[in-house]
Amino acid sequence: MSVGLPSDEVAEDYKNSLEDLTANSRYEISNLTVIARENTEHAMAISRVLENHIKNVPPDRKLPALYVLDSVVKNVGTPYTIFLGRNLFYTFMGAYSLVNQQTRRKLDEMLKTWKEPVPGSQETNPVFPHDTTRQIETALLKARTTALQLQQQNQFRAPQELTARGRPIPTPNTQWRNTPTPPQANSLYYPPPPQSYPQRSVPNGNFQSPPPFPPISQYAPPHDHPQPYHQQPYQQPPGYSQYSLPSQNLDSLKRDIADLVGKTKQEFASIPYNDTLRIRLQALLDLQNILSTQQLPPHEIQAIRDQVAQLSGNPHPPSVPPPYVATPPVPQQQPPPRSSQPQGSTPQPGDLQALLSSRNLADIIAKAQRSTPTPPATQAPRSQSQQGPTSYPPVSSGPGTDLMAMLRAKGLLPPNSNTPTNGPLGFASPPSATNTPPILPASLARPALINDVDLTSTSLKIPRPHLIFTLYEARPNQCSTCGRRFFATKEGREMKACHLDWHFRTNRRLVDSAKRGQSRSWYVDELEWIKSRDNPGDAPLTDASSAAAKATLAASLAAADPKKRHIPAPSDPALANQPCPICQEKFATVWNDEEQEFVWMDAIKLGNRVYHASCHAEIKKDGGTTPLRINTPDSVLGKRKSPSAGFSEINSIYAKAVKT
Amino acid sequence: MSLPGLELSASVETNIEPTVQDLKEGSEWRFEVAFGHQIEVKLLSGNAELFGTELAQKQPYTFTGTKAAIYTWHGCQLEVHGECQSEYIAEETPMISYANLHFALEKSREEASTTARDAPRVLIVGPENAGKTSLVKLLTAYATRSGRQPIAINLDTKEGMLSIPGTMSAAAFSSIIDVEDGWGSSPTTGPSPVPVKLPLVYFLGLANPEDKTSVYKPIMTRLALSVLNRLQDDGESRGTGCIIDTPGVISQGKGGYEIIQHIVSDFSVSVIVVLGSERLYSDMVRRFNGQRTSVGETIAVIKLDKSGGCVDRDEAYLQQVRQAQIREYFFGDAKSTLSPHTQQVDFTAVSIYRWADSSVDLTSLLPGDAVEENLAPSIFDKEEPSPQMQNAILAIVHADPSDPQETIRDASVIGFIYVAEVDEKRRKLKILAPLSGRLPNKAMIWGSWPEGVTDMVG
Ligand SMILES: [Zn+2]
Ligand SMILES: [Zn+2]
Repeated sequence: MSVGLPSDEVAEDYKNSLEDLTANSRYEISNLTVIARENTEHAMAISRVLENHIKNVPPDRKLPALYVLDSVVKNVGTPYTIFLGRNLFYTFMGAYSLVNQQTRRKLDEMLKTWKEPVPGSQETNPVFPHDTTRQIETALLKARTTALQLQQQNQFRAPQELTARGRPIPTPNTQWRNTPTPPQANSLYYPPPPQSYPQRSVPNGNFQSPPPFPPISQYAPPHDHPQPYHQQPYQQPPGYSQYSLPSQNLDSLKRDIADLVGKTKQEFASIPYNDTLRIRLQALLDLQNILSTQQLPPHEIQAIRDQVAQLSGNPHPPSVPPPYVATPPVPQQQPPPRSSQPQGSTPQPGDLQALLSSRNLADIIAKAQRSTPTPPATQAPRSQSQQGPTSYPPVSSGPGTDLMAMLRAKGLLPPNSNTPTNGPLGFASPPSATNTPPILPASLARPALINDVDLTSTSLKIPRPHLIFTLYEARPNQCSTCGRRFFATKEGREMKACHLDWHFRTNRRLVDSAKRGQSRSWYVDELEWIKSRDNPGDAPLTDASSAAAKATLAASLAAADPKKRHIPAPSDPALANQPCPICQEKFATVWNDEEQEFVWMDAIKLGNRVYHASCHAEIKKDGGTTPLRINTPDSVLGKRKSPSAGFSEINSIYAKAVKT
Repeated sequence: MSLPGLELSASVETNIEPTVQDLKEGSEWRFEVAFGHQIEVKLLSGNAELFGTELAQKQPYTFTGTKAAIYTWHGCQLEVHGECQSEYIAEETPMISYANLHFALEKSREEASTTARDAPRVLIVGPENAGKTSLVKLLTAYATRSGRQPIAINLDTKEGMLSIPGTMSAAAFSSIIDVEDGWGSSPTTGPSPVPVKLPLVYFLGLANPEDKTSVYKPIMTRLALSVLNRLQDDGESRGTGCIIDTPGVISQGKGGYEIIQHIVSDFSVSVIVVLGSERLYSDMVRRFNGQRTSVGETIAVIKLDKSGGCVDRDEAYLQQVRQAQIREYFFGDAKSTLSPHTQQVDFTAVSIYRWADSSVDLTSLLPGDAVEENLAPSIFDKEEPSPQMQNAILAIVHADPSDPQETIRDASVIGFIYVAEVDEKRRKLKILAPLSGRLPNKAMIWGSWPEGVTDMVG
């Protein structure tokens, strides 16, 4: 590569080389690293190409591609760490969400090494800044917890449901614990080049001397202590240790989690509005709950253990911002703590899209976007931020910020008064015909989507990707079962919760009905149809009286449904450990956004005891043998009202209609 | 009980390696699966939609007896198990203009809400096999995805919407549309993995409305009244409007155009979309352009290209589709199996009506003042059960057997029964009803469409 080539040519070249990378070839990865080193003036273009490549390749090729990233940031360092760090959350999570368990394991290990300085180098900073990696960690913890919860729910599903839709957890095999960079013995890999970079001709004296450490060992070590690559530290078959996990281990794990919960609670108490802490605390509480209520397969326990160990070893969540974390660059006014978000970076549409399109990730983002560390200046324990803010490039603002900025720009979130969202891009001409990316930076700068489609043949022919956006990315919160999308707003989350609840109830009831058998219902009559309304929970209601109440249906559901009743989680430790006296089960602790506190769901306090509201309701209902059902759609649809009812009314409607 | 009619699905041939379809942005995968065969499709990565409804990633979708297309705006990867009758990737589609039609409608919905006017009522016309139903489905799905609640209306009695062929129906859509199975399912007594839709159904019992416009028109008018009432009553639907599917046959001119005229005025149609026919477009422009609706809007007439994915569906295939729709009414589909109920009923327990068999429409021949009560030709003949009825479908309607014939004609459908056996000696009928329990004591209509199904009950 000679100096002076235009960036896009270099990028194109790099892209082509990447496309040849189908397996985990050390040789090719080294070459790609060298090319990156020799073309640091094109680092931005190369980083973009690499990110896109990781995003677009099929899942089985994502790992080698990520090894390239890993190798480049460790062996070349800046400016690649900056360019690749910007979107690391999306790049990493996007890949993570699509690969199999085995590969995830390797990605976990890779992530671990990014929190350390490059082994053997004089550099003392970690590969990527802590806040970058921490954001990923928090998202992963959350995702893992969610997965466990899903698994928990799956236990209620019909057997056929499990085989048809469930994704069984892959059984661990011996490759399970391979290091990211595979052992030499593996025939998949080319033998490493004899020397670090000897094959490449030295172009124009641009070549820098090889680093003091061989690149090979660089992207090998996912551990805290780098191992020479030819050792195979994980060769011991995992089977033994996994299946013989003694129960005392489980107990110690529970203890560790309890400790962490305690610590996190303390921190949370001192920084009450910190979302990262809150999410972490919620996740830990969920974990605790899962561990105490169900038997997990050993490898899941191992995964939790690893995570917990990481968290314990890394006990400063964002209360202490690393030196160059961007605190909100708005010194002129004191923003309200929850709405302040760092602004000003250019969103990265492509990556965002990749992320949003992947399953379940919408949830993670929804959390992650709120987890951008935003301690109010007054509460930041160290005030480095005072000399900091102005000098820091947008690079360090988290991707969540981009999302917020974008949604704001789209008019999907209320504008942030602190920061102008109109970038210098201004109003670009509408996207032109082909292969324009679905989200255009130009459109991001607009205050709202402009729908300029007229009912004319010419207007109908102009492609408008920014409007397609409204059908996809504008609603990033997707149901992974049926694909339905929701906004990433509070309402959207509520609707989705309602929707997931509907899936859950339906799945549970499908089990029952398989035994009972079901039949086609009679059709409704005209009046019933005219008065029927769909409820937000997805099933049609035919109750005429619901028409007026539709707007407040969600609210009234919450009031009527004992499952939605909640009380503040008791702080009294004695009470906090008491199960429900009726069913002897513990209460689910969740964060309530509206009330800004942890609550016990489905709970009522009567005297000194706390009961499940639903348990209590059933007891009150005479005998309590029949399960209580509220608002199940077919309880309304299944029964038919007496056929003659309503006929006089309908006839008067039609008589009126015919006259006019 | 063992019912031969239940063999709806064949298993996926699992010994065949799955194929992976890589779709570039803006392309679609068109596929046909024969009846008795089944494929399973999974979205591996990217975004994809089927007639406007988005697919969830990694979820298996199964198709049988289908001709459809999966489109992607952003590019995607599909994994396909099983064998298609034919399949290919097309890069030229009219999707941009179809989506833009949706956005144009969205714009007028927004305008309607700010100016307190009515949201658009959209009529889709075009010849057979132009993709009218697919377009209606796409517009319905997009509106639903945009947080709206459109009312979809089917006036094509050749195929049913949320019901069997021979019917006209309407339903509000606020939840996701079934990807695997047409328009999805009407309510059952149990849960459904895809939200059910609540249809209002009317029965014509004829394939071609022009065979009996004297019956088609009043029923259609009645359906329109119900829809307009719903639009008035239901704020969600009022803000969205309706989308109307029509039979291809009325787009051939002559009497058909008169039916279109009726539809336009009954539903107060504000947008006429002509699909895949220049001639029809110019005829529609001549008839309707610049005309005003009952509420004073100017009617817009626009044309759209037909999709290259539209294939001519031969009669044998269409008959299989009809039979599958009827079976599904009684027995459900692969996702939820339904248990219909066989029972014996006395001849005296049923009141069956059949459209009066007049090859000529008598009303048009009689002088105006002769159409008086006693001289008015009867709409129906009352029929005793007879062996002819074997394998027929009867519609039970929301009208008493003693009601005037107009009332019976205009009444909406309660449900259908299938006549399995007629025992003239014992004067008993063996019937299949969707539900157990006594049959509603209501009038029943025996149409000539859909044709009987032979192997329904063993
Ligand atoms: Zn869903
Ligand atoms: Zn309880």
